[in-house]
Order: sequence, then structure tokens, then C-alpha cells
Amino acid sequence: MAEGIRIENLVKTYGSGDTAVHALRGVDMSVAKGEVVGLIGPSGSGKSTLLKCLGAVIEPTSGRMTIGDTVIYDDGWKVNDLRALRRDLIGFIFQAPYLIPFLDVTDNVALLPMLAGKSNTQARKEARDLLEALDVAHRAAAMPSQLSGGEQQRVSIARALVNRPPVILADEPTAPLDSVRALAVVDLLNTMAKQFETAIIVVTHDEKIIPTFRRLYNIRDGVTVEERASAPSGG
Amino acid sequence: MISLAGRDILHGWGKFVLTGVGLGLLIGVTLSMAGVYRGMIDDAQALLDNSGADLWVVQKDTLGPYAEPSSLNQDTERPIRAMAGVDRAAGVTYLTMQIAHEGKDVRVMVVGAEVAEPGEPGQPPHLIAGRRIVQGHYEAVADVKTGFAIGDEVMVRRNTYRIVGLTSRMVSSGGDPMLFLSLKDAQEAQFEKDSDAIVRQRARTASSPVLNPPGNPAVAEAVNAAQASSTNVNAVLVTVVPGADAEEVAATIRRWQRVTVYTRAQMEEILVEKMIANSARQIGMFLVILAIVSAAIVAFIIYSMTIAKIREIAVLKLIGTRNRTIAGMILQQALGLGLIGFAVGKIAATFWAPFFPKYVLLLPADSVRGFVAVMAICALASLLAIQAALKVDPAEAIGG
Ligand SMILES: Nc1ncnc2c1ncn2[C@@H]1O[C@H](COP(=O)(O)OP(=O)(O)OP(=O)(O)O)[C@@H](O)[C@H]1O
Ligand SMILES: [Mg+2]
Repeated sequence: MAEGIRIENLVKTYGSGDTAVHALRGVDMSVAKGEVVGLIGPSGSGKSTLLKCLGAVIEPTSGRMTIGDTVIYDDGWKVNDLRALRRDLIGFIFQAPYLIPFLDVTDNVALLPMLAGKSNTQARKEARDLLEALDVAHRAAAMPSQLSGGEQQRVSIARALVNRPPVILADEPTAPLDSVRALAVVDLLNTMAKQFETAIIVVTHDEKIIPTFRRLYNIRDGVTVEERASAPSGG
Repeated sequence: MISLAGRDILHGWGKFVLTGVGLGLLIGVTLSMAGVYRGMIDDAQALLDNSGADLWVVQKDTLGPYAEPSSLNQDTERPIRAMAGVDRAAGVTYLTMQIAHEGKDVRVMVVGAEVAEPGEPGQPPHLIAGRRIVQGHYEAVADVKTGFAIGDEVMVRRNTYRIVGLTSRMVSSGGDPMLFLSLKDAQEAQFEKDSDAIVRQRARTASSPVLNPPGNPAVAEAVNAAQASSTNVNAVLVTVVPGADAEEVAATIRRWQRVTVYTRAQMEEILVEKMIANSARQIGMFLVILAIVSAAIVAFIIYSMTIAKIREIAVLKLIGTRNRTIAGMILQQALGLGLIGFAVGKIAATFWAPFFPKYVLLLPADSVRGFVAVMAICALASLLAIQAALKVDPAEAIGG
């Protein structure tokens, strides 16, 4: 499978000197397009820090990071416009859906293609197609506050997918959901990963979904350990 | 691209519109204050226009007759009338007083003007109803703002006058409506002493051997008559013949008479720059304070609207929205608030202007200036919120 995202020996140290916190001490990780991997670890192990580095919102201290063939970071940013990088190459799914409350469902999703310069008509068409695929098209005209938690999460997945990014970062996407819905979301992520050829990294504490990952990284004291190299069942 | 500002406003329009209306009432007050100032200048100009004069001859070294008391002998006008370049010259009196009318006190400026022939300077230039004063006594022409109607009888001092005509926009520089009497009647009202004073004066004359020489009672009578009547005026209004230079005529009068003469331009300067200047500064202070209060309100509301959206702003930044777009959203909201405020303010000011006791003149140019100022203030007030929004870290969207 084609490579989605790869990080090598990624280090992140907060602060310096006596007060320095070594959050990441040399993380290696690689996720192929079409693949969903889990990232687990105890509190304070560096999961959020890793996600922020991958999401290009904080700068790593050293290491190397590539998305596809593009070098993003190599002991320094290799891309000038991090905002455009996030907009075009990375999709985000959060624990809370974080939809924009003053935009309806369609425009919440269409906003990203619009930001990327597409016409409103084109952006809305792409948004509606995705909402269709995620089975929330019937709520396209609703405001986020009128949706159920599961519907909101599906809309936020549509938003993460709409610009067809090679990488999606999901931060505890199933935390607020019951186990049926949580498993449904993981299924959905797997389907979407294949359909849109996206590498998806899911940070989670959620015992309900941990067993479903074919590959699982466990991060401890700032170092990743690949716990599961193959599918738990049938794969 | 959709308008994020517009969507946000539509989403929470109730709060937004209420704030806009509140701001609008403040802007309405501001526009009215400017209107009051314009009204004062317009009143002053109307006063000068309606007097029909080209020159004002007043007591030497005074700023009379509107800004300072001035008293001249009425006989001053006769030699002036004979001077080269002078068309007409007529004495006038001005006296501001309270008149009781139908149980209310009406503050008026009583103007005494010569009524012998029409068109004398000092007479009201046009009537909107009725006729001019034709009898030497006990007739009056009133400005409609007094509330008097034709046929009404009003008491000025001890005499009753019948209203025979009405004018409009005839007000003093203080905005008090005018009541025109014949010059003689007005002089009586202005310079006449009350009965007690007359009795005492007569007694003093009678007891003086010089003014009341024994065996010649005619002397005391003549003295009494001279003391009781007055032939003083506050100013002599002069018109110049067509083609004559008012400045030259003024110089001629100054050469021959111990008086001070003002041209129209000088009189306007006295009224606008000396009399109104203080009020103008006062209004200027109010405008500054209102501008600051408006700015504070806009800044506060836009800031709190932005702070309430911090998480959304972090998400917007995380998914790649430019700072320019986010700053634009906040700026547009501030300008939208200003737009609503200005519209409400303009409507409010127009609506309540007629209810002001003073003349409120809303100039379109002032509205344009006000609009520009409101927009500038709103833009400025949004800077605080924009700064806060730009500081938001997109990493906050990911959380810990
Ligand atoms: N901005 C920061 N400045 C200094 N230290 C930080 C900062 N953010 C995180 N840390 C530290 O880095 C380490 C890793 O934190 P991180 O938030 O990545 O952990 P986590 O795995 O997400 O934990 P949790 O499961 O509790 O969310 C912790 O020791 C934390 O205190
Ligand atoms: Mg965390």
C-alpha cells in the first residue's frame, strides 16, 4: 500500500533546561493510505503532543515527517504555509464534534472546499455527496445544535474527509458515544479510509474500540511501541 | 466563499439587533446634538437675515444689540438716513421677556420696529398669516412658535395687544420666538417704569425747587413728561442703496457719529463665534464623550461575541482558515453593528427632532460625517477583538 504518513525519530521537548519536559523522545510511526491505526497510551504519555505535531500546530524539536512524497518536517518545517498544509493534507476529527454553530450542516462541511478556493456551488455539491455517503444527507439543512451526538460526529467526519486529505487525525472520536455507535464510527472510518485512500490515526482510551484496530501503537514515556502488527481477527 | 460574519449575525440576530438599536439611540442623541448646534447657527443666521439690515448701528464700544445691551437715542437714525449710500435706517428695540398666555409662561423676544411704512428694517420680512401692524398701538405680530393665534390678546407689561399676523422662523439667537410691536409700544414696554417708581419720581420732581419753581407748574409737568417717555432704541438698522459698498457706508457713519457700526459679516462673527462658541464647545464635549461611549459599547460587544467563539475560531484556524478571513469576519460584524446603529440613530434623530424645544437642523453633510465617524469608531473598536482572535492557538482545538 502507498505510504500515507511516516514519522521518524520525532522528538518534542517543551521548555528547556531544568524545567524541560521530554514529551516525545523519538517516535517512529508509519500509516499507509487506506489504513486505520490506533494510538493508545496512559495519561501524560504524549498522545496529544504527537497529534499536535502531526497536525502541524506545534513545531517538533527534531526528527522527520512526510506525507506521501512530501517532506513536511526535517529538523525544521519544510512547508511555508502550515495553514494551507492543514487545509489540504490533513483532516481533523475531535472528541467533541466542534462544528461551527452558526453554519448549517452542509456549509459546515462545504466550508473547507470553499476555503480552498472552490465555488460555493461546487463546495456544497461535494459536501452533500459526502453527507450522503455518511448517511446524514437528510439533516443537510439543519443547524448543528439540532443534531444528535452521533449525527454531529458523522458531520465532523464528513468535514475531515471533504478535501480528500491523505491523512486524518482523530482525537478520541468515540468518547461521547455508546458502544454500538462507537463501533459504528470505527466501521465508518475503516470504510472511508479505503474509499478515499486516507491514512487515519485514531487516538483513543476507549476500551470498546481498541480491539478493532488491525494495527495499534502504544506510546509510553514518549516512545511508541507497535503492539499489534496484524489484524486481531479474520484479517 | 460564504460570509462567516453574516451567518454568525443571523444565528444570534436578537442580541445583535438589540445592541445595534441601543447603539443607534446613542448615535441618534449624537446626531441630535450636532443638529442643535446647526440649529443655533441657523437661528443666528435667520435672525440676521430676517432683520433685513445691511448694517447694525449700536451704542459705541458695545457688541449690541444681541450679544450685549446697547442703547442709542432714536434721533441717531435721522442723520444716518441722510448719509450717502444709505437707503433706509430704522430704530429697533429687543427685549426678552416672559409673557403669560393661557395659563402658561411663554418666553419671547419683543421686537419694536417702525411700522409707519412697510419694508422698514426690523419688520418681519414675510407673514404666513394675517397682516402687518398698521395701527401705531396695541397690535402685535407673533412667530408661530409662540403658540399664539390671530385674534389672541396678549399682555406685555401693563398693556394688552391683539395678534394681527403670524411669522415663522423669526427667533432670537437664543431660539426664543419673536413678538413684534410697534416701536413706540415696545419702547414703552422696555423703558417704562412701574407706577410706584413714577409716583416716587414725581414726588421728587415736585419737591425740587429747581424742577418745580414756585409759581410755574408747567416746568414740573414738562419734566415729568420727559422722564416718563423714552426715545431710546437698542440699535439702528441700516440698509444701503443697491450697488453701494456696505463697508464704505459703515465707515462714513463711524466718521460722523459716536457709534459702533457692524456689517453683516461682523455681526455674524459676534453671534456665531462669540455667543454660540461656548455652546459649541459644550456640544463638542458631548460629541467626544458619546463617541467614546459608543466605541466602548461596540468594543465590548464585539469582544464578548468573539470570546464566546474562541473555540470555533481555534477550529477554523486548525482547518486552515486564514487570519485575514477571521479578522474580516470580526471587522464585518463591527461594521454591521455600526450600520444598524447608524440607521436606527438617523431614524430616531429625524423622528424626535420636532419635539426638541430648540430648533434641530439635521444637515445631510453631518449625517455623512456621522456615518463615516461611526464606521471608523466601529472598525477601531473591533481591533481589540481581532487581536484576541489572532492570538488564539489552533492547538487549543485539539486540546490536551
Ligand atoms: N504546552 C506544554 N508545556 C509543557 N509541557 C507540556 C505541554 N503540553 C503537554 N506537556 C507535557 O507533556 C507530556 C505529554 O502530554 P500530552 O498532553 O501529550 O499527554 P497525553 O498522552 O495527551 O495525556 P492525556 O491522555 O492525559 O491527554 C505531559 O507530561 C504534559 O505535562
Ligand atoms: Mg491528551
